[in-house]
Amino acid sequence: MLSLMVVEPAESEADLLASMLRTVSEDSPHLPTMAIVSERSMSAALTTFATSKPNLVLIGPGAAADVVPSDLDRLRALAGMEPIPTILAGGDRDELLDRALALGADETLAAPYDLREVHLKLCALARLARFGASLLGQRDRIRQSHDGLLGEQASVRRMFGNLSRESCLNESSAIRHHLSPQALLNGDVAAAAWGPGGKLIMLLGDFTGHGLAAAVGTVPLTAAFYSMVPKGFALPRILQELNSKLHRLLPANMFCCVLLLELDTHKRRLRIFNGGMPGACLRRASGRVRQFESRQLPLGVLAELDVAPAIVHVPVEKGDALYLWSDGLAELYSSGGEPFGQRRIVEVITRIKEGQGRFDGVLDEAFRFAACQADDLSLVELDLDRAVAEATSRAPVRTRLPDYRVGEWSARFTLGPGELRDADPLPPLLDVLAQAPGAAWFRDTLTIVLGELFRNALEHGVIGLDSSIKSSEQGFAEYYHELHRRRRALREGWIQVAVKCHGRGSGGVLEVVVDDSGPGFPASWSRSGSYAGRGLPLLRSVCRTLELQYGSSRVRALIDWGRPVDRGIQAAENPA
Amino acid sequence: MANLRSDTSRVTSELSACGSHLTIRVYGPFNFNLHRDFLDSYSSLPQPPTRFSIDLAEATHLDSAALGMLLLLRDHCFGAEVEVPSDAVTLLNANEHVATILEVSNFDQLFDIR
Repeated sequence: MLSLMVVEPAESEADLLASMLRTVSEDSPHLPTMAIVSERSMSAALTTFATSKPNLVLIGPGAAADVVPSDLDRLRALAGMEPIPTILAGGDRDELLDRALALGADETLAAPYDLREVHLKLCALARLARFGASLLGQRDRIRQSHDGLLGEQASVRRMFGNLSRESCLNESSAIRHHLSPQALLNGDVAAAAWGPGGKLIMLLGDFTGHGLAAAVGTVPLTAAFYSMVPKGFALPRILQELNSKLHRLLPANMFCCVLLLELDTHKRRLRIFNGGMPGACLRRASGRVRQFESRQLPLGVLAELDVAPAIVHVPVEKGDALYLWSDGLAELYSSGGEPFGQRRIVEVITRIKEGQGRFDGVLDEAFRFAACQADDLSLVELDLDRAVAEATSRAPVRTRLPDYRVGEWSARFTLGPGELRDADPLPPLLDVLAQAPGAAWFRDTLTIVLGELFRNALEHGVIGLDSSIKSSEQGFAEYYHELHRRRRALREGWIQVAVKCHGRGSGGVLEVVVDDSGPGFPASWSRSGSYAGRGLPLLRSVCRTLELQYGSSRVRALIDWGRPVDRGIQAAENPA
Repeated sequence: MANLRSDTSRVTSELSACGSHLTIRVYGPFNFNLHRDFLDSYSSLPQPPTRFSIDLAEATHLDSAALGMLLLLRDHCFGAEVEVPSDAVTLLNANEHVATILEVSNFDQLFDIR
């Protein structure tokens, strides 16, 4: 139904115009039913506009004389987005046209009135009104669905917030991070958690695109991350799992660029994998900067990804800090269309000497430079000294006195070349041992001891590498490259692990014996030899007794718990 | 210069006489805005070509959506095959900026980049 308003002070003229409109609408099959209201003046019309809501205003000759252009502006302002056509009716056609132009009216109707002309104009205006109404209807639907979408995204965002509850991103004073999504949801993802044995694992990922689709990808990624890290899986296994999971899940045109790093706080060693992310930046206390460029495809592109050769191993020095960012930071554009760029980021990191102000310094410079943000953007800082300090205070190697029984049990595992080549056998092994009564008390210690002894057996015993290669930074990388190469080619050899637990009152002793198929320790190892790397002091610090012999590959470690141990007593070695 | 092609297609394609080699040219920023044109350039052919060349000489930028589109092309044409020959899809003439993006993503493992 259309609503028409006639504005005319003279009653007879108003009646004439109204009855004419009524006749036309009643006779025409093309016009909807019409309600007609009359007002005596333009000011009255403006007052009642909100309640009568006309679709058309017909201004009679008596009212036209008093109308000023601002009246029509106000009329249109009241109608908002709805079209409100105005018709000037009057006697002299010439005068009427001049007046309509001066006022800005839409149409004229000259007397004597011709019903066909009225009919024609009403049809045109009815079409205009229909068009306006459908346009507004669409706008309202879009607005509603957009509001709904934002509401849903806000709920999803809250769920994402809960997802990363296992994260230590906010708890750790060693980590600072800034993630700012381009839209409500973020396709960039940061995750960090402590693994057993004082290892901090951290991830920064960037999914293709941004918004909902990109954000949804972060769910399986972080779920797998937080499930694997506490179990102590090694970097390559975590990466393979994340890759195959994303490959199964993501559509062919989507993938996830990832930086994954592991900081071994005991050995002060960093392993970094970069698949498609901007180069991570390690800043040394000297101001020297080392970048870790992408060396592999992003995750989710191929079903199988050979990640181990792309992992870089770096010894950590005092005063080191590591910076990771997503390409959104480098792709902040100035008003002149120039990107902020990798070079500027590295330059700021290098220039700012004071470690405290560096993180904020990078963000400040980036946002001062930028006119607009085109993509999700993140920056993460890892203060390696703090992380190492935190690991020591966080997980004391000696646990408190247990107040319940510790079991009497033993277990023996033998791993053949296939397992040593392709699998990461330690996490499942530790998982099994963790089920034993009382195991919670020594889990962290056992992780360190078993990890050290196992890697020693594998790297030096079965594979036959000499760790003195690791003395330089370059050698460090070479060592791991060679290890990976030889491990892949492994066709023979074995490692045997035997664990025996003796409960003793409220405490107990755990005996760990690791043996391998290698030739045994060379006689030269004793004081500063090949095995005296970072592993041995670590083992000494957590074991009561550590026994090894020249020419034998058998190592026996005894771990006490339940009684405070005097730190002054060093491991009783028995090389003779 | 940047606006020269704004109202013409930003993706053109050319099929060799024998119909087995398709060359696709991309102009301006290679991003999500031209995914429809890019898809149409190879998916509507009656006989799927066995070799593709993507000429990036006129591409000014390439984002992750474009990398995804290249993966889609590879998947569409060779999805069923276990081993895609490394020279099946060739990326040509990338400028320094675009080449860096391809390098960071390590796409040389999947495409023949020249």
